[in-house]
Amino acid sequence: MAAVHGDAHGHEHDDHHPSGIMRWITTTNHKDIGTMYLWFSFAMFLVGGTLAMGIRAELYQPGIQILEPELFNQFTTLHGLIMVFGAIMPAFVGFANWQVPMMIGAPDMAFARMNNWSFWLLPVAATLLVGSFFVPGGAAAGGWTFYPPLSTQGGLGVDLMIFSVHILGASSIMGSINIITTILNMRAPGMTMMKMPLFVWTWLITAYLLVLVMPVLAGVVTMLLTDRHFGTSFFNAAGGGDPVMFQHIFWFFGHPEVYIMILPSFGIVSEVIPTFSRKPLFGYSSMVYATASIAILSCVVWAHHMFTAGMPTVGQLFFMYATMLIAVPTGVKVFNWTATMWRGSMSFETPMLFSIGFIFLFVIGGFSGVICAIVPIDIQVQDTYYVIAHFHYVLVSGSLFALFAGAYYWIPKWTGRMYNETLGKWHFWLSMFFFNMTFFVQHFLGLAGMPRRIPDYNLQFADFNMISSLGAFGFGLTQLLFLYIMINCIRSGDKAPQKPWDGATTLEWTHLPTPAPYHSFEKPPIVK
Amino acid sequence: MSNSPADKNHVSVWQIAKAVLSAFMGIRKKSDLEHDAATLKPAHVIIGGIIGGLLFVIGVFSVVKLVIN
Amino acid sequence: MVENKSFANVVMLRKLLFFTLVMFVFGYALVPFYEKFCEVTGINNLLQPDVQAKEIRVDESRWITVEFDANTRGLPWQFKPLQTSARIHPGEPVNVMYEITNNSDREINGQAIPSYSPRFLDKHLKKFECFCFTKQVLKPNETRQMPVQFVIEPGLPQDIQTVTISYTFFELPDGTAAAVKR
Repeated sequence: MAAVHGDAHGHEHDDHHPSGIMRWITTTNHKDIGTMYLWFSFAMFLVGGTLAMGIRAELYQPGIQILEPELFNQFTTLHGLIMVFGAIMPAFVGFANWQVPMMIGAPDMAFARMNNWSFWLLPVAATLLVGSFFVPGGAAAGGWTFYPPLSTQGGLGVDLMIFSVHILGASSIMGSINIITTILNMRAPGMTMMKMPLFVWTWLITAYLLVLVMPVLAGVVTMLLTDRHFGTSFFNAAGGGDPVMFQHIFWFFGHPEVYIMILPSFGIVSEVIPTFSRKPLFGYSSMVYATASIAILSCVVWAHHMFTAGMPTVGQLFFMYATMLIAVPTGVKVFNWTATMWRGSMSFETPMLFSIGFIFLFVIGGFSGVICAIVPIDIQVQDTYYVIAHFHYVLVSGSLFALFAGAYYWIPKWTGRMYNETLGKWHFWLSMFFFNMTFFVQHFLGLAGMPRRIPDYNLQFADFNMISSLGAFGFGLTQLLFLYIMINCIRSGDKAPQKPWDGATTLEWTHLPTPAPYHSFEKPPIVK
Repeated sequence: MSNSPADKNHVSVWQIAKAVLSAFMGIRKKSDLEHDAATLKPAHVIIGGIIGGLLFVIGVFSVVKLVIN
Repeated sequence: MVENKSFANVVMLRKLLFFTLVMFVFGYALVPFYEKFCEVTGINNLLQPDVQAKEIRVDESRWITVEFDANTRGLPWQFKPLQTSARIHPGEPVNVMYEITNNSDREINGQAIPSYSPRFLDKHLKKFECFCFTKQVLKPNETRQMPVQFVIEPGLPQDIQTVTISYTFFELPDGTAAAVKR
């Protein structure tokens, strides 16, 4: 990819689109829709974060102070659902909307109208989900995994949650169909598959995983719905069903879902690290291959989420070995990133800091995952704060840190303005400090036996819980700093040059002006 | 494994197997990869991947059986 | 060129939508698959009689207390064991009677689901006869006595002195025979 100077697309458009609110409702422009996805997911991140603050406030001291147990359960349930389906997944789709067409030299997404539709389903689903707090009986309270029998017994809140999951699933499926088609059919001449940036590759594989497992989730929540209202007994033991079967089907979706939430962040980090190390990504092809194999293997390890649900030893050993083996391609990636930095001329702007933070903390989360995979240990730590610590290390410092890295990395291209580097660094270091303060101590709590999803705890857990809660408040406030940095950047940041990062090599930096024009690559660039 | 340009379009089962296996490990030589990219069709790799996945399952399962006995 | 491209896109869209549909159906196909899997591997066959073993050695050096528990959920039946507990030797065959009464004036189908404490008791429990192997149909105000016949094998770990066998009756919607099938 030779760095061609200037703008490859021919002429500036008169952007004759409706203005004001109608612009956003009717838009089919991938950049507008990407922006809406990102703002939406950030709003949901704040909602889910507020719930987390509620949870940590209740757990600040032993005893019941703020939240009644029933409400506490609703908080934990909705915190999980909102963060997974409302914040992290739409945020990645937002990145895909902005970046995929620009990185492969396409003018827009393949199905622009469907793109608009798949975004506007999200606010509907979010309204149902958040609104369920205010219906009689309150929101769903059976945990984000909504296992029956709790989910077949709950009130109206559970129905709203089921509909919401249906809608979010439909939105994700449409989004991923769009992304797959765009990547496979709309690449610029010369942009072969093996020249695609890794972010595009990881999203291609993620999108395939989404169309593979999202329909299964839709199926299982439909079964739940018919069990609740139409007299079927898929999960009702009395009618010949089996509640454990729900867990199997749910985790058949749920484990690939874990990788759906982490593969695009691998992609983002694989763009950021080479840029700031000023070296090409070490082992690009290995990364592609490893991502693909992670996707395939992720479909055969689901039952490690349910070692204590009752399983023959053969099953436990099978899933234990398979789980430990899936760590191999993931580990290879970590080595690739480290090798990319090796002897690079590195600089440490905010995106790079978040990426390095990502690697560091993701490795901790990955290792605690391998520990949880060992059956005898898992039987001890299952449903304790150890598991909470494990998946927050992979989801917060994995997915979320990578999202921050991506946001800082691409915001100059999106807005034409630079963010405040000093504040960005503050955001990173505060996040890093408070994140570890919140979650590292939860490993100790879990090993000492503190169960998850319980609003009260034994006195022996008091000190670590107080530390964890204080860390959580700090982490929550720090994210408002991110909001400030972004608004400040959009309104009054310094003008950004076309390529503010001198190590960047992908098309959006080399072929497009900053800010990226409303219509880009109408005439496809030639990639050499 | 030096392939002359003449048999560039010839895809052997062995080549697919090697591509898939190295994918499971996550390590692949650059020259081999470029050769793969030039000759392998997506369908080959997908079918190879699924078969590889099945073999992986069978392999782990046999190890488990061995350990249990 | 542009038309070709959008045509190719639509083809791809159809393929992917078809794939989505296939996966949705696959989700449902997992249900019979799961049931078949459990049946073949013998996991979960709570509702089938065990084969009478040739000869189980009675371990007279140990006593075990077996507690019987009976519950109903969502149906107007009265359900109780005629004795609340039994003191037995491992390996000794036990016969207990349960009684159900339909307190309502309609015919009701019920299915009993067993559950054991400790959980691994099912590995050491051989049941030869049980009212839970079939559905029970009770006419209005009918009362019925039903036996359970079982043996607790001497292999039960030494530290277990008390076990509980519990049954819960659930109402079966008319025409449901799913539980009986398994």
